[in-house]
Amino acid sequence: MTAPPSLLRRADATGGPQGAGRGRRRGASEHVSGWLFASPATVIIVLFGAVPIIWSIVLSFEHVSLGAGGRFAGTANYRELAHDPVVRQAIGHTFIYTALFVPLTMIIGLFLAVAMNRKIRFITFYRTAAYVTMAISTINEALVFLWLFDPSYGLVNFVGHVFGLPPQPFLNSPSQALGVIVVMTVWGWTGFSVIIYLAALQGIPQSVLDASSMDGAGPWATFRRITVPLLSPASLFLAVWLTINALQLFDEVYVSTQGGPVGATTVIVYYIYQQGFQYFNAGYASAIALVLLLITLVVTAVQFRAGRRYVNYRS
Amino acid sequence: MLISHPKRADQGISARRPVRLIASVMVFAVVAIGLTACGSGSGGSTGANGKLSLEMWEGYTGVEASTFTHLVKEYEAANPGVTISVLNVNNDDTLTKVQTAVAGGSPPDIAYLYGSWAPNVAEIPQVVNLSNVVKRPGVNWDDFFVGERDVATVGNKVIGIPALVDNLAVVYNKKLFAQAGLTPPGPDWTWDEFESDALKLTDAAKKQFGTAYVTPESEDSVWHWEVLLWEAGGELLTPGDKAAAFNSPAGLKTLELLRTMAVEQHSMYLDPTDSEYANLFNSGKVGMLVTGPWDLSAFPNVNYGVQVMPSFPGSSAGHQTISGPDNWVVFNNGTAHVTAAEKFILWLTAAKQVKYFSLKTGDLPTRTSVADAPGFDGEMNKTLPGVSTFIDNLANVQQARPQIPTYPKISTALANMVVSVLVGSAQPQAALTTAAQKVNQILSSGSSG
Repeated sequence: MTAPPSLLRRADATGGPQGAGRGRRRGASEHVSGWLFASPATVIIVLFGAVPIIWSIVLSFEHVSLGAGGRFAGTANYRELAHDPVVRQAIGHTFIYTALFVPLTMIIGLFLAVAMNRKIRFITFYRTAAYVTMAISTINEALVFLWLFDPSYGLVNFVGHVFGLPPQPFLNSPSQALGVIVVMTVWGWTGFSVIIYLAALQGIPQSVLDASSMDGAGPWATFRRITVPLLSPASLFLAVWLTINALQLFDEVYVSTQGGPVGATTVIVYYIYQQGFQYFNAGYASAIALVLLLITLVVTAVQFRAGRRYVNYRS
Repeated sequence: MLISHPKRADQGISARRPVRLIASVMVFAVVAIGLTACGSGSGGSTGANGKLSLEMWEGYTGVEASTFTHLVKEYEAANPGVTISVLNVNNDDTLTKVQTAVAGGSPPDIAYLYGSWAPNVAEIPQVVNLSNVVKRPGVNWDDFFVGERDVATVGNKVIGIPALVDNLAVVYNKKLFAQAGLTPPGPDWTWDEFESDALKLTDAAKKQFGTAYVTPESEDSVWHWEVLLWEAGGELLTPGDKAAAFNSPAGLKTLELLRTMAVEQHSMYLDPTDSEYANLFNSGKVGMLVTGPWDLSAFPNVNYGVQVMPSFPGSSAGHQTISGPDNWVVFNNGTAHVTAAEKFILWLTAAKQVKYFSLKTGDLPTRTSVADAPGFDGEMNKTLPGVSTFIDNLANVQQARPQIPTYPKISTALANMVVSVLVGSAQPQAALTTAAQKVNQILSSGSSG
């Protein structure tokens, strides 16, 4: 560990008390220039991130009417929230949705990533195709799925009919509508998990896999005992990222069912929208939003804790 | 090694903490200055050229937009002291944007706002009460249809001048009626005929439906049903809007009719998207639609007829409809602006301009004198075939939705009720009971929260 000669010479020349003083000044100006570089992003994050969060915390303790501003309400919004059956249903729907969406997206993504992690013809095309779903706007995606799942004219029921299945009501059924939203969003997000897994797969050294097969492990054992554990940081990242997104489901619901039929797809963020922008209860909507924030924090903390046990990269 | 590492990191952070604190205080200061600057801007008084500039928010598109622009130019030419700065806003979002602008102290001078928001709009302190303005000579307030005036009036306030009016009627496919051997509906038809026509127009093999109903969980599912309730002789709420009144024999009759068509006879296509029904009608897959004049231009492939809503046999309430009028609302940005804004919207909604706008766009006229003028129906049908029935149907607007701030919440409860019957997840009486309970709870818990 020897410093390059030029640096050594520099250090010699600036030795002594004056040199130290210059060093301190350089430190201060580094701070200033550092903040100058960081400040545009910081201002934007504070302005559009921190300020609204703090403001919504304030709002959640107020009764807010249109234009007339807020009037202090104490914990009234939170007390109402505790007894609001729709909040309970919305949290339930959100959890059911998350429990289906996150594992499905990860498993299908892993399957496709493994299938694409090999040298076959047109592999670039397949990889692009898998990611294209991420580039399509949610609105277009939802409209296409509305057609696919149309009870009378949709392709899904047509294919089912060919195989002798009875037609399903899909979005017109309180028990099936959330399932359609799951399918819609899994399709939209799989490309993302494919890319993450593909990158992680390519980071696994071939030598490790070769060593495993030399030790007599079959392909399945190698996959299960070597590949999947080595992918665990990517899995943790996907689990956290997809969960946060799932807890904030809104667009697909807004475009396809508006929370229906009979409230079956009313998830937390949709209910926040309804309270805030249809019933004009900004205070109550903010209170629900903070509950969602708490739920997100708790779920993410649990995931990281579980990750500490199962992620195999730190040793 | 492993134990000491986190500690060292901690020390590093604590040593830098004061700098971070100072920096974040500075950032907050910058943000605060920025916010203040945003708040004090706009207000838009007289411009540099000495002209008064009115800021107007509206959501017109297509031919409505070009016709509106033409009228604005005409007004500016005749009133050189005023310029009108028009901002195009999606109508669905206008109230939210107005809310933000009011909070920031810079509302527009005039905004186009949905009639269903009227009770909420009335709560905004900056909204100008026009009750004396509409009494001025020449305004001829009673010339506006009663359904429009009802919606523009909240308590003792007039919160706006009618900008648009529409209503619901039945649009039917003449070819499908002929193929099914049916005579087209007459002006005296009943819901019994509607139901049996719908069944005869249904052909499962061709995937053809007698009629359609929109089932998103929104007001669109509700106002179609409210007409049925009124026609059956029912009321939504008790007088004074104190409690639910729709859990009645009339209410039951309406939901049973919907259940028969949607669940038992499968003659009603249910459309949760609120948009496919128009494509299906235009493709000849749906025989009859309950809809408004705005949809007519979406049916170029169909030879359609228009008839008023059927009545319930034995009900004295006859043929009714519901109207969704929208308003031009004026906000207080100082006397000079309010005076200029009032003058402009009174001009815009005067008979001459209403007639011009209707003939160009096919939108229904907001004034009876325009609608009743001889020859007007014929001219309108040239712009938009069949629209004259909708104009005549304005006379069947006898009631309005309750003008209370909690209506949006009530609407969700009613949407739940109607949709639960249509998708077969609840029986009509059970759905009525549940919805009535919810509505009573909303009404008793007051306007806020």
